[in-house]
Amino acid sequence: MDAELAEVRALQAEIAALRRACEDPPAPWEETSRVQKSFQAIHQFNSEGWKSSKDLKSQLGHLESELSFLSTLTGINIRNYSKQTEDLTGTEMTEKSIRKVLQRHRLSGNCHMVTFQLEFQILEIQNKERLSSAVTDLNIIMEPTECSELSEFVSRAEERKDLFMFFRSLHFFVEWFEYRKRTFKHFKEKYPDAVHLSEGPSSPSIVIRSASQPGFELVIVWRIQIDEDGKVFPKLDLLTKVPQRGRVPGCSCFRCLLNMPSKAAYFLWVSQGKNQKLEISLMYFSIKF
Amino acid sequence: MAGILAPGLTRTLRSLSPLAGQLLEKALGNLRWSRRTLYVQMASPKEVKASIANVEPNLAVEMSEQEVLEEKLENVKAVLQAYRFTGLSGKLTSRGVCVCINTAFEGNLLDSYFVDLVIQKPLRIHHHSVPVFIPLEEIAAKYLQTNIQHFLFSLCEYLNAYSGRKYQADRLQSDFAALLTGPLQRNPLCNLLSFTYKLDPGGQSFPFCARLLYKDLTATLPTDVTVTYQGVDALSTSWEEQRASHETLFCMKPLHQVFASFARKGEKLDMSLVS
Repeated sequence: MDAELAEVRALQAEIAALRRACEDPPAPWEETSRVQKSFQAIHQFNSEGWKSSKDLKSQLGHLESELSFLSTLTGINIRNYSKQTEDLTGTEMTEKSIRKVLQRHRLSGNCHMVTFQLEFQILEIQNKERLSSAVTDLNIIMEPTECSELSEFVSRAEERKDLFMFFRSLHFFVEWFEYRKRTFKHFKEKYPDAVHLSEGPSSPSIVIRSASQPGFELVIVWRIQIDEDGKVFPKLDLLTKVPQRGRVPGCSCFRCLLNMPSKAAYFLWVSQGKNQKLEISLMYFSIKF
Repeated sequence: MAGILAPGLTRTLRSLSPLAGQLLEKALGNLRWSRRTLYVQMASPKEVKASIANVEPNLAVEMSEQEVLEEKLENVKAVLQAYRFTGLSGKLTSRGVCVCINTAFEGNLLDSYFVDLVIQKPLRIHHHSVPVFIPLEEIAAKYLQTNIQHFLFSLCEYLNAYSGRKYQADRLQSDFAALLTGPLQRNPLCNLLSFTYKLDPGGQSFPFCARLLYKDLTATLPTDVTVTYQGVDALSTSWEEQRASHETLFCMKPLHQVFASFARKGEKLDMSLVS
């Protein structure tokens, strides 16, 4: 009886923790242990029903677990996929034992709040020596289209016909995007009077003003950039606006810090001290890739 | 169910021993089921469930449960196939998971490799098809135990880069053999290449000697390039200019594309001779 009661308490605690984890999405570098845990969980769940895999329901359950795993691992959720094949082998080619096949693929899905639709063609040529397979056309439609940081990247992926880079970079971009949104939201909630988001929750910049020091403004711009090779990285900028009289000490020092090549990002916020003086505090967090 | 186990009540339960035992068992069963469901929920984003349930609304009414299941099954199987286009796909196994890494270079789909993982503490690789010169153990030592995603992404980087370098070297050998004046020397990792070539194969000039080193194993362009010209008039400006421009080209563009531009220039020269 006691052992079972102990197990019950342990399970209750575990369930409470899981419920919290389900509601609270983690920061990008915390996402890692989530993948680890889900991997183990799926395996545990799956191995329990491994033996009886003959009937449709358990087959479906098994495949759904697989889908879960892949979705968590890649960060990409594919909802639909279809494919058409066209044999382009002419009679002349058959004589030389060359086979040419054109595949048309269409897939759609989402990565968090970004939905995508891809149409691409793969040309397969089989001759005596080898089989070559190449993407000959790639069209990507993404929503929301306001994510201007993404449109240049999408054109590049289409031009290069680089499917893998598209998906990998999209995953990292969205992770950073969500993280930026949550961080700004946190500051907004903590300092509602001082902090303003100019373009709403998905804003790339945050404005800090203080009622006691009118005319004084700090703007932190947090851009998420994708370079030529598809690497995603944050770029932070600090803009200051100070009234003509008086200076805010330490401001130039902060500007310096923000320009550092970052695996670290600095955030500063302005709070109202007891003696009505502006206190500028610096919060530092580092991001591990 | 959780409320039933408040301290005061458990004492009462204890006194009702056999019935209590049954109730406890039931409570345990429910809790275990809740935990399992939460794990799966945590693992599957909400959208996955939605897409799996995505059956044509009009047909749903007319189809039997069996047919609905079959259609769902077909849909899930198709989507699973599609994951290879993300570069990573896989299958669950009785031991864990077998992950398939696909590689590509500039739209050309190349070899795939697999890594069969066993879920145990510690997580380990059961077997794999990764070539021996890829630093798999190093990458596994860094990331496998703490972050499977990072482990696989990192391995993807190395394998895609290796595939890309190999592709360039293969294309050079097969498509531009006419411009090479000797065999292409390469190591298995394809990060050290050495070859001699001429822009005008039949001509009287000496060949250029090129040595390409790719220090960054996650890159498909070389980090160090040396081109030398062994001819008697090696110091003449025109040869020196060519030599220097070739060095730059090899650093900036994929190997076979550089040679393609050499071949095109050669064609232009021929045309001018004819006219």
